Amino acid sequence: MPAHKSDMSSSKKGKGDRFSINRRTFLKASAFTGAAVAASRIIKYPEASLVSSQPSTEGVITERWITTSCLNCSTRCATQVRVVNGKAVKIVGNPLSQVSEGEICPRGHIGLQVLYDPNRLSVPLKRTNPAKGRGVAPDWVPISWSQALGEVSARLKALRDEAQPHQLLLLHGLNTSSDEDMIYRFAAAYGTPNVVSGDTLENEAAKSGRWLADGNSSHIAYDFGQTNYILVFGADILEYEKPLARNLRMWGKIRRERPNRAKVVVIDRRYSVTAAKSDRWLPVNPGSDAALAMALANVIISEGLYDTDFISGWTTGFDEYKELALSYYSPQRVAAITGIETDTIRQIAREFARSRPAIAWAGRGVAAWPNGTYNSYAIFCLNALVGSIDTPGGVIYQENPGYRDLPEPAEDDIARAGKDKPRLDFGKTSLFPAAAAVANQVADSILNDDPYPLAVAIGFNSNFNMSAPGAWRWDAALKKLPYYVHLAPFISEMAEYADIILPSSTFLEEWGYDHSPPGSGFAEAKIKQPVVAPLDDSKGVADTIFEIASRLGGTVASSFAAIGGDAQGFVRYRTETLMPWSDFREKGVWLGPAYQYHKYDRIFKTPSRKFEFYSGNLENLLKRTGQGVASRLVYLPHYEEVKFLGDELSYPLVLSTYQPLLNIENGNQNYPWAQEFFLVMHGSGWTNFVEMNSQTARSLGIRDGEMVWVESLFNRIKVRARVTEGIHPQVVAIAVGQGHYAAGRWQQAIGVNPNEIIGVDYDRFSGQSSFFNTRVKVYRA
Amino acid sequence: MARWGMVIDLDKCTACQACSVACKAENNVPHGSPQEHTRRTALFWHKVIAVSRGEYPSASIDLIPMPCMHCDKAPCVTVCPVKATYRRDDGIIIQDFRRCIGCKYCMIACPYGVRNFNYKEQEEQEYHRPDLPPDRASRGPWPFPQRVHGVVEKCTFCFHRIDQGIREGKKIGVEVVPACAEACPARAIYFGDLDDPDSQVSQLLASREWLRLREGMGTSPKVFYLPR
Ligand code: SF4
Ligand code: SF4
Ligand code: SF4
Repeated sequence: MPAHKSDMSSSKKGKGDRFSINRRTFLKASAFTGAAVAASRIIKYPEASLVSSQPSTEGVITERWITTSCLNCSTRCATQVRVVNGKAVKIVGNPLSQVSEGEICPRGHIGLQVLYDPNRLSVPLKRTNPAKGRGVAPDWVPISWSQALGEVSARLKALRDEAQPHQLLLLHGLNTSSDEDMIYRFAAAYGTPNVVSGDTLENEAAKSGRWLADGNSSHIAYDFGQTNYILVFGADILEYEKPLARNLRMWGKIRRERPNRAKVVVIDRRYSVTAAKSDRWLPVNPGSDAALAMALANVIISEGLYDTDFISGWTTGFDEYKELALSYYSPQRVAAITGIETDTIRQIAREFARSRPAIAWAGRGVAAWPNGTYNSYAIFCLNALVGSIDTPGGVIYQENPGYRDLPEPAEDDIARAGKDKPRLDFGKTSLFPAAAAVANQVADSILNDDPYPLAVAIGFNSNFNMSAPGAWRWDAALKKLPYYVHLAPFISEMAEYADIILPSSTFLEEWGYDHSPPGSGFAEAKIKQPVVAPLDDSKGVADTIFEIASRLGGTVASSFAAIGGDAQGFVRYRTETLMPWSDFREKGVWLGPAYQYHKYDRIFKTPSRKFEFYSGNLENLLKRTGQGVASRLVYLPHYEEVKFLGDELSYPLVLSTYQPLLNIENGNQNYPWAQEFFLVMHGSGWTNFVEMNSQTARSLGIRDGEMVWVESLFNRIKVRARVTEGIHPQVVAIAVGQGHYAAGRWQQAIGVNPNEIIGVDYDRFSGQSSFFNTRVKVYRA
Repeated sequence: MARWGMVIDLDKCTACQACSVACKAENNVPHGSPQEHTRRTALFWHKVIAVSRGEYPSASIDLIPMPCMHCDKAPCVTVCPVKATYRRDDGIIIQDFRRCIGCKYCMIACPYGVRNFNYKEQEEQEYHRPDLPPDRASRGPWPFPQRVHGVVEKCTFCFHRIDQGIREGKKIGVEVVPACAEACPARAIYFGDLDDPDSQVSQLLASREWLRLREGMGTSPKVFYLPR
């Protein structure tokens, strides 16, 4: 916006001026914001003596900076931690890291409060009350590590002795990459096909949409720092999308650190922080993004604005795609579907095609739908149309560090037979043909004993009964499990169902190696090393697995024999081939070679070895699962009308959820800094709201700040209303991250968890949980 | 003598609030609680505020990082009856906890709402952290190891970093910047000498349009914003 100091200055009385409100008046205007406290239930927290106390020291004696990396989200940024007298006091980015160019996001600093969380567990706990359920006190008693590991190992050993290893389920939330490698190795050696990552709740449809086009089934990496134009489809680039700290860094770069400033247009039903910082916000009808993408293709093709060299050299199926776009997706028709005007569609299509290199970015907001794969496919194809595939400023193909290969796990017949059993999540079956793993299906599989009953589950830093839609099913499933072991540094909603809790250390007390999700293109590895000794009696995940494996003996133990011996040794074993151990520990970062663009002969993993506008991958897959169809439309990017959960008459509004930047991704929110800065768009913290358009609020007779019920077909929650201009009138939005009820002085009984009212639905190919197609009604409480 | 000022590029800013969080860590500013949030007694030396304009669908919200403006004509200094708030020669407005009598005149006088009254009891262990100074080697003794109950406090432009940097002959604004500027992942916050035409802040102000908050109040703030 053009401005000069004279016309931008404002007086106290100046009305309508953008800066006529100051911080205090603003705070006053949002004075009600701290009070949103939902109906709470009191759950007994472990006795004070079981909770770790903070060490206290006086006076400065020693001071060290230690390199490690963050794990408050999956970006896993390289950091340096200042330790004074054995206490971590400050976290900064590691300047040697090129993924985020040495920067970290605000959550990086909050690592201190993760480490010194007053509610951390200090010793293993054993349940004495056999009854399980929400609000049922587990009556924990402290036990020693050797007793705890002895009991867990005995259970696991018995299950293997009965030749039923597939009845073990491993669940994991956000873990260090090295710990994840240990978890998957344990599953392989033990003999279970059932390992489920919480990450599969989030990103699967974006991956499968991309797989349809180029055969790669991973997160999409965008060469964001060199692009000239970004069309953002439901992607919270500055709050959620990974690698987050890199996105923040690159935003500064594309705006004002180059001669040409990149333009950003955000298509989203909600006015996100990304929308607020963009050049243009286009509210779109919920679920209609694929139609918009096809209309953009219509304009780009009909006006001859596409990249003919790339299309003719490296793509197949263009003619059918063109035919489809031109005959079904005219801007006029799509304007009616999306609510975006014909002229606007034409204008952004032209801008996008003419401001190359340009990116069409499909975020979680378009992926987590029943038609998520097609949404992502249609949007991904726009990149190919303008030649933004493996080019500077376009889509790039992530490389990962080549850690030293691990020897194949030793396998016995029991393990082999176990792994041949069908998977609990029905991934890769006709139910979810393109799925890597379907986290949310597991709850129903447990409840229905389908395909078989489970005996034991182990959760590694997971909290599915907060993070999965249809959260109540997880309560029931965990209650039903005969034996549940939970590893985490703190009590959580899921830990409440455990028979044994093993207090794991936080990422600041742990050995590990890590790399960021796709984004940078080039490879980078970062170390995790303890900045302080593990507090109290906590133990890292990898060390716990090593100990359990050795107690199990046989092929399980031998699978873990020659790979370093313990967590530190394992990290050293796998990274020493990258760089000398002492260097890695000191520098904290290993950097791969510079990224090479235009690798067209190598990147396409499709039948044609080209980018496919008509998906041969999908055609072959559905043939294999016996679901092949004659209609060619199925294999082309297209718009499918969304089936909503709940009818429009009784439930007139569509519920949307989003993750604010200060939501910590470890499943816990017991961090005062994260809480007090929680909702920057509302100048508020320590709460969340149901956010609704002022027109909608007026028609429902709801005033800003009032308590309301938000009710779906499945459940209802009571929350404070926030009336805003920044949301589509048919949509209401609730931030995730609040609504914890199990424990935690700084999180308990604060706000609500929208997953308590969201129904269970999936993208039919990838098994991606559909978070956004639940309808609700809102009324005064 | 330098005249320190700050330039915040709102086009680069991502509203991530790393600046606000880093300020809390650097200056041992106590965190709040739900109760203090409701009573509006939580302390923030730095905060990103949201200002909304317009109606759907052309609504917009400006997200503005706000430290103390370090006004050249600071009303808070004028009203303080005991000279607890004063202007240093380098233009930084400082608050002397020992002189402050907690009358809150300055809080009423400040047009930007950046001043805080510390209601915290000193015994509250969590806020008494003599063991947690910032980087003593490069930034000198920490000014706020202990909280002072019943006085007013606010952003200091991290003067402890600047003073130490000058003692060590470092380039202020390049090698040494306030904690918020250091933490900014978008590199949107610039700091330096407004009287030096070659400083990065002066160069930015010469090359871009800029604005200051509530210019009409005649406070002459030394925090400048570069709009989109
Ligand atoms: S982006 Fe993620 S990993 Fe990086 S500092 Fe922020 S929370 Fe930590
Ligand atoms: S912003 Fe307020 S506290 Fe800061 S110098 Fe100006 S009047 Fe004083
Ligand atoms: S740290 Fe930088 S990008 Fe983040 S809110 Fe502050 S000024 Fe903006």
